[in-house]
Amino acid sequence: MNLRRISVVAYKEWREIVRDRLFFVLAFVVPSLLMLLFGYGLSLDVENIPLAIVDYDQSVSSRDYAHHFSDSRYFSFQGYAKREQDVEKLLIDNSLRAVIIIPPDFGARLKSGQATTVQTWIDGTFPFRALTAKGYVTAINAAMNLNNLSAHFSALTGIGQETLRNSMQSVKLETRYLYNQEVKSIWSIAPKLIMVILMLSPPFLTALGVVREKESGAIYNVYSSTLSRGEYLIGKLLPYVGISIVNACALTAFALLLFGAPFKGDPLFFLLSTILYVICTTGIGLLVSVMVNTQVAAMVGTAIVTVVPAVLYSGMIIPIPSLSAIASVIAHALPGMYYAEIAMGSFLKGVGIAALWQDLLILALYAIALFTAGFLGFSKRPRN
Amino acid sequence: MSNLFDRIWWSRLQAMTWKELLQLMRDPILLVFVLYAFSADIYNAASGVSFQLNNAALVLFDLDRSAASRELAGRFMPPEFRWAGAITHASQGQKMLDDGKAMAVLDIPPDFSERLARGDTASVQMQIDASNSVQGFLAAVDATQIVARYGLEQTAQRLGVGVGGAGGNLDAPLINNQTRVWFNPNQNDAWFMGISELLNVITLFSMLLPAAAMVREKERGTIEQLLVSPLSPWQIMIPKIVAMVAVILGGTALGLFGILVPVFAVPVAGSLLLFFVLTTLYVSTLAGIGILIATMTRNMAQAGMMVILIIAPMMFLSGAWTPPEAMPALMRLGMYVSPLYYYINASYGILMKGAGISVLWPMFAGIFLIGVLVSMTTIVRFKKQFA
Repeated sequence: MNLRRISVVAYKEWREIVRDRLFFVLAFVVPSLLMLLFGYGLSLDVENIPLAIVDYDQSVSSRDYAHHFSDSRYFSFQGYAKREQDVEKLLIDNSLRAVIIIPPDFGARLKSGQATTVQTWIDGTFPFRALTAKGYVTAINAAMNLNNLSAHFSALTGIGQETLRNSMQSVKLETRYLYNQEVKSIWSIAPKLIMVILMLSPPFLTALGVVREKESGAIYNVYSSTLSRGEYLIGKLLPYVGISIVNACALTAFALLLFGAPFKGDPLFFLLSTILYVICTTGIGLLVSVMVNTQVAAMVGTAIVTVVPAVLYSGMIIPIPSLSAIASVIAHALPGMYYAEIAMGSFLKGVGIAALWQDLLILALYAIALFTAGFLGFSKRPRN
Repeated sequence: MSNLFDRIWWSRLQAMTWKELLQLMRDPILLVFVLYAFSADIYNAASGVSFQLNNAALVLFDLDRSAASRELAGRFMPPEFRWAGAITHASQGQKMLDDGKAMAVLDIPPDFSERLARGDTASVQMQIDASNSVQGFLAAVDATQIVARYGLEQTAQRLGVGVGGAGGNLDAPLINNQTRVWFNPNQNDAWFMGISELLNVITLFSMLLPAAAMVREKERGTIEQLLVSPLSPWQIMIPKIVAMVAVILGGTALGLFGILVPVFAVPVAGSLLLFFVLTTLYVSTLAGIGILIATMTRNMAQAGMMVILIIAPMMFLSGAWTPPEAMPALMRLGMYVSPLYYYINASYGILMKGAGISVLWPMFAGIFLIGVLVSMTTIVRFKKQFA
C-alpha cells in the first residue's frame, strides 16, 4: 500500500467526476431531491378515503349515522348515491374506496328497539389501507352503538346514561405511543429515508464510475501500471465515499430542519456510523462493478441489489419481524437494516453506543467483507 | 415503386431490430439480471412482505397476577401478536422497547381484578413503539378491540346476560356493520405487492434499456456510422424501441404466468389481451423517454443518474406504494404527468377489478398523449443534435 499512489488514483477520479459537470451536479442533486420527494410525497397515513353513502332510508337517524362517517377526517365524503348499481362503477375506476349502504328500515327498526344491519364496501386493492379503513368503520360504528345502547337502556331502566355507558366499558385500554408521540409518519420516516437514499445513490455512482473504465478500455492503463489491486480500489472509492458523506450531512440537515425530526442521540457516534455505512454502500457498487463488464449491466445489477431491499426489507415500511423467511435473510444480509437501527436510535430514541455497538460492529465487518470480495474479484489479468 | 420503398423500409427496420436484440443477448450478465428481476425479484416482493400486523412482540407487565389478568393476556394471540416474555419491573420494559426487542408492553395494574369484580372501570395500559407509525397504529386498533371485547364479556357475565356473536340476537337497537372487501376479500398482500413489483420492474427496464442502447452508440461513436447510413432518425429510434418492447413483454409474460398466477393465485379478472396492449403502449412511451434522456446526456453515467432522477419520483408518487388520494395536493399535479400513474390504475383495473376499455379509456388516452408528446420532442432533439 502506497499512500501516494492511492491519492493519485483518487485525485484522477475526482478530476474525472468534476469535469463531467452534469454527472457531478446529479451526484448531489439526486439524493436531495429524493429526500424532498419522499418526505413530502410518501404518506403512510390513511386519511381522505373517498367515500359515498347510499341511504335507502332517508330518515333522521340514518342521516345522523351517515354524518358520523362523512364528517370524519379519515373519509373524504363524495356524496350520496341513489342506488348501489351507481357506485359499483365508481369503485372500479378508483373514484371511490368505500361505500356505506343503509337499508330502508334502518330508522324504524332502531326506533322500535330492534337490531339492524348496515353494509360497508371497501376497495381491497391496497390491502393495508383496506384493513385500516375497516378499523375506522368498526370504531365509528362501535361509538354509535355505545351511544344508542346506553340511551336505550337508560330509558328502560331509569339509570343515568353516563353510568350505563361506563359499566358497558368495564375495561379500558389506554395506549401510549413511545418515540413518536403524535404518530406522524414524517417523523418516523425521515431517519429511515436517510438510510434508503444512502443505499440508492452511492452504489450507482460507484458502479458507473468503475465500469466506465472497463467499457472505455481505460482500465488497461491500470492493468499495465505499477498500481496494486488494493491501491486502485481504495483510490477509486475515496471520491465517491467523500461525495456520499457530504450527501449524508445534507440529508441529516433536511431531516432535522425541514422535517423537524428530533435528534436525541450522540452526533459523533451517528457520524461515525454514517461514514461506515456509506463505505458499505459504495462497496456494494464496487462489488457489482467488479463482476460485470458493461455499464447497463452495472446499473441493472445495482438496482436489483439495492432498490427493492432498501425500500421493502430494511424495516422502513415493514418491521423486520413481519418479513417472510427469505426476505428476512435478505434483510440481514444487507447493511441497511443495521444502519436503520442506528439512525432510529440516534434520532428518536436517544440511545447511543451502549445499545447499538453490535450494529456498528456488523457495519464494520460488512465494510471489510465487501472490500475483500471486491479485492478478490478484481484481477489485473482478466481472462477475456 | 411505393411497394419497393415499403419493402426496403421494413427490411431496414428488421435488420436494425435484430442488431439490437443481438447486442442485448451478447451481455449474458445483463440477461441474467433481467431474468432475475422478472422472476425471483417479483417472487420475493410478493412473498416477503406483509403490511398487516404480524407477530408483533408483546411483553407482559402483570402486577395483578390474577386469573382475570391472565385471561386478558391470553387474548393477545398470533398471528397479530406473540408474547416475548414477562417482566417484573417497569424499567425492563423500557429497555426492551429501546433495544427493539419488544414492540409493545401491556401493563396490568395491581387492582385490575378487584375493580373488575366490583364493577368499576378498570384500566389497562399499553405502551407501543410507534417509531413505525403504521404498525403502531394497527397494534393500537387491534389491542383496543381485544380489550373492548373482553370488557363487554366480563360485564355480560356479571349481569348474567348473554352476548351473542356480534350482538345479533340482543334485543336492542344495535347497528351491525357488515364489511365486504371488494376485489381482494382476504386482503392478500401478495397480490398487491406482486403486481406492484411487476409494474415497477417493467418501468425500470422500459426506460433504462433504450436509454443505454442509445447513449452507448454516442459514447462509442458508433452513432456516426448510423448517421452516414441511409437511415432516417425514426429508423434509428424505432428499432431500439421495438427490440426492448419485445424483451420486456417477454419478461412480463414470465412474471405474470410464471410467478404471479401459478404461485400466488393472482386473479386475472379482466382481459389479458387488453393488459398486453396497455403494456406495449406504456413500454413504448417509456422507451421514448429513455431515448430522450439519451439525447440529453453524453455518457452512460450521466444517463444512469438521469434515469434514477426521473424514475424514483415516478415510482413513489404514482400510487405504486400509496394510492393517489393519499398524496398531498401539489404532488397530485405531478402525478398526472407521470405515465406510471395511468399504467398502475389501468393495470390494477384490468388484473384485479376486471375493468374493460369502457372504464379505462382515459388511462389509455393519458399514456398515449404523453407518448406522442415525448416522441415528438425526442425526434426534434435528435434531428437538431445530429442532422
